[in-house]
Amino acid sequence: MKKTKWLAVVLASVMLLTAAGCGTNANQAVNAGAAAGKEIVLAYSDGGQTMDPAEANDLTSDTLVLAAYDQLITYGVKKANGADIANTEELKPMLAKEWKVSDDQKTYTFTLQDNAKFQSGNPVNAQAVVWSLDHVKNSKSGSFLYGMAEIESCTAKDDKTVEIKLSQPNHLFLQIIAMYTFSIIDPAVVKDKGADYLKNNEAGSGPYKVEKWDPATEAVFTANPNYWQGAAKISKVTMKFIKEASNRVTLLDKGDADMAIEIPAQNVADLKKNANLTVRSDASNRILYLAFNTKVKPFDNPKVRQAISYAIPYDKLVHDVMYDQAKQMKSAVASNTPGFTDAGFVYKYDLDKAKQLLKEAGYENGFSFDFTLGSGFQDWQDDAVLIQAELAKIGVKMNIQNMARAQFLEAQKTHNLTAYISKWTSFVNDPGYHLGFLLYGKGTSNYGNYQNAQVDKLWEQANVEPDQAKRNELYKQAQQIITTDAPWVYLYEYNRVVGMNKNLKGYVFYPDEIIRFYSLSK
Amino acid sequence: MIRYVLKRLLYAIPGVLGIILITFILSRVLPGDPAVMIAGEQAPPDVIENIRISMGLKDPLYLQFFHYIRQLGSGNLGTAWHTGHLVAQDFATRFPATLELTLVSMFIAVCFAIPVGVISATRKNSAVDHVSRVLSLLGAAIPIFWLGLVLIYIFYAKLGWSPAPMGRIGQDINPPTHLTGLYILDSLLTGDMVALKESISHIILPAICLSTGTIAIVARMVRSSMLEVIGLDYVRTARAKGLPERIVIYKHALVNALIPTLTILGLQFGYLIGGAVITETIFSWPGVGSYITESILATDYAPIQGFTLVSAILYMLINLSVDLIYGLIDPRIRYE
Repeated sequence: MKKTKWLAVVLASVMLLTAAGCGTNANQAVNAGAAAGKEIVLAYSDGGQTMDPAEANDLTSDTLVLAAYDQLITYGVKKANGADIANTEELKPMLAKEWKVSDDQKTYTFTLQDNAKFQSGNPVNAQAVVWSLDHVKNSKSGSFLYGMAEIESCTAKDDKTVEIKLSQPNHLFLQIIAMYTFSIIDPAVVKDKGADYLKNNEAGSGPYKVEKWDPATEAVFTANPNYWQGAAKISKVTMKFIKEASNRVTLLDKGDADMAIEIPAQNVADLKKNANLTVRSDASNRILYLAFNTKVKPFDNPKVRQAISYAIPYDKLVHDVMYDQAKQMKSAVASNTPGFTDAGFVYKYDLDKAKQLLKEAGYENGFSFDFTLGSGFQDWQDDAVLIQAELAKIGVKMNIQNMARAQFLEAQKTHNLTAYISKWTSFVNDPGYHLGFLLYGKGTSNYGNYQNAQVDKLWEQANVEPDQAKRNELYKQAQQIITTDAPWVYLYEYNRVVGMNKNLKGYVFYPDEIIRFYSLSK
Repeated sequence: MIRYVLKRLLYAIPGVLGIILITFILSRVLPGDPAVMIAGEQAPPDVIENIRISMGLKDPLYLQFFHYIRQLGSGNLGTAWHTGHLVAQDFATRFPATLELTLVSMFIAVCFAIPVGVISATRKNSAVDHVSRVLSLLGAAIPIFWLGLVLIYIFYAKLGWSPAPMGRIGQDINPPTHLTGLYILDSLLTGDMVALKESISHIILPAICLSTGTIAIVARMVRSSMLEVIGLDYVRTARAKGLPERIVIYKHALVNALIPTLTILGLQFGYLIGGAVITETIFSWPGVGSYITESILATDYAPIQGFTLVSAILYMLINLSVDLIYGLIDPRIRYE
């Protein structure tokens, strides 16, 4: 009796639910076949955190932003060794069709495109630009770039003209304004939907509409048919978020993904054997260095730092750890950056020279020091162990202390670590930006406390020098002094490895490592 | 019985409060600064400081705790900054994925482990027993990440029997209409055969991967408690009165041997719901496990606290249900 009662209840609820679901079967009509047009699937690692241009600061979020938004100006593209790479020195019109600079280099006047429209149908006008810049100014993450651009005011002169005044001449201004952070947002949409709308939705004028974004699984984009520069050639782009690197490689290998990023260096050789795939491995601006705290003994002595630079197995690091998907670093500035020079780089693997320098510094019997290793990157660990073994040969004992990534970032900011490995990619491909953060005396990321009055003076001089050639000359002098001073051991510059299907065309490498979907075709 | 349930629930309250306090303090005392993660590596200190102030991270700890409790009191678990969603909203989308995976893997484990346990007990020291013992040992010893990758390599990359390890459903297939969030159940209820086939084919590998540990434990448990029971008088009596061996084993012995197994299953269930992190990561399964790992890496306090709270409550409810099921299986157990 009891059992029959239960059965009746269960049956009734099943019937109720079935009735509720009737006619709403999600796959009755749709799954007959793929929609018309060209579609691609990209395998990414992380799911991203926000779609708000001013708050985005991870690779996936930046990619979402660049698909949905346009900026005032953008970077040019050049051919190098038959491949397309961004030319960050050349700035091209985007939403601004032209711009003028005043003689005192402090006022920029941008004229907007006549035909540019947001995806909502609203025209891209001067008010939208003013609103968008204001949005960056008030943001959490992007506000420091606003400060760095030294924007004093931004006003709409008329519907299509924007005037931006700087507090002082700034050669980085145009470079910064071309970044995804300064995307132009449709203020009407935000006013309508509320301030939080931008976190999970877009309100741009860009080539793709975001159909779906779920950081746990995928992001789906469809081409904006009314894009003012003409609709994109790929009609649907799906980004799949796949944490496990070996799975990204397998998906690409099997043809289930048309493109995969963040491919482990050890898989590159195997993937290259697959005739259906192209593997692009471009020298990126991501540098890896071992930094010393120059305020702490014995690293306050340049001779000690130089000695260690002579004890590094440079070839092993590039070849054995990175499987040649990296290149030896020879300046504090990445070799792709305009104004780079390797002058002063005399270091090579030479233990005798290292011992001699230690002796000159008064450390003939060696010393021991604490080295902090942040987690999250296998190659850092391999590098640290190799370096530890080499240093032992010159009597230097390196105590490796492991730390989780979040803790490491926090510890770094205390300026108290004795020695550590760190990576860096400058958002703006310019030695002024780069050195200003990392090795300028007051640089906010100068965690090794490097101080050199000469370097500081050169950097300050360059900062106000309007002529690029002269500016680069000053940066070159600064680089040479730094390299000789050796506050860092230069390890390597990573390659950006992207695997893709042979028939996928139009991939352009950008130093910020963000892929722009608009140029892709199939 | 109702009195017993109420009493148990009442006793759980101090436990839950303790968990809230400990998680809150731990997540704040351990190093790692959310403001640094939000601002990004290249942000200068003043920007980071402003974020700290705006997030209330500069307030004294007791004040932060007070705000948190007040917020919880209004039924709000907070907002996860790293997804931009309310924590409750994130759980609502992620939790069904984990629950479905756990249920299917428990189902596989039970279907496999109980017969194996029974057979190795009834044929003690036979070849079957030895093989099952070795397999159990392997099941408990094989690291899940390794097994997951091997399964993917064999069944997806080499044989092509399994779909790409990209979540719960294939490319260009719509998830079934949302009723419970469990894709298999939803597809059945809406008669969506396309989605049913897809969801089953996607869940098989991760569920097998996740079930191995449970199979190993449960099979050993069933074997040992069966061995204990088989020697008892009532089993001899059942045999003596001429019942077929099948009935003796499955109806008389097994039911009595199930109690300790049930305890283990309950614990395993609670554990899997919160701990399928590795399986979820390897199979890109969009569940709470991978969500919580991301939150920890991003030092995102709200989801970490919310998840600990929710899983503590779940664990407690599962244990309570297991205790109640004892009463159903063994009429001698009474709840006063």
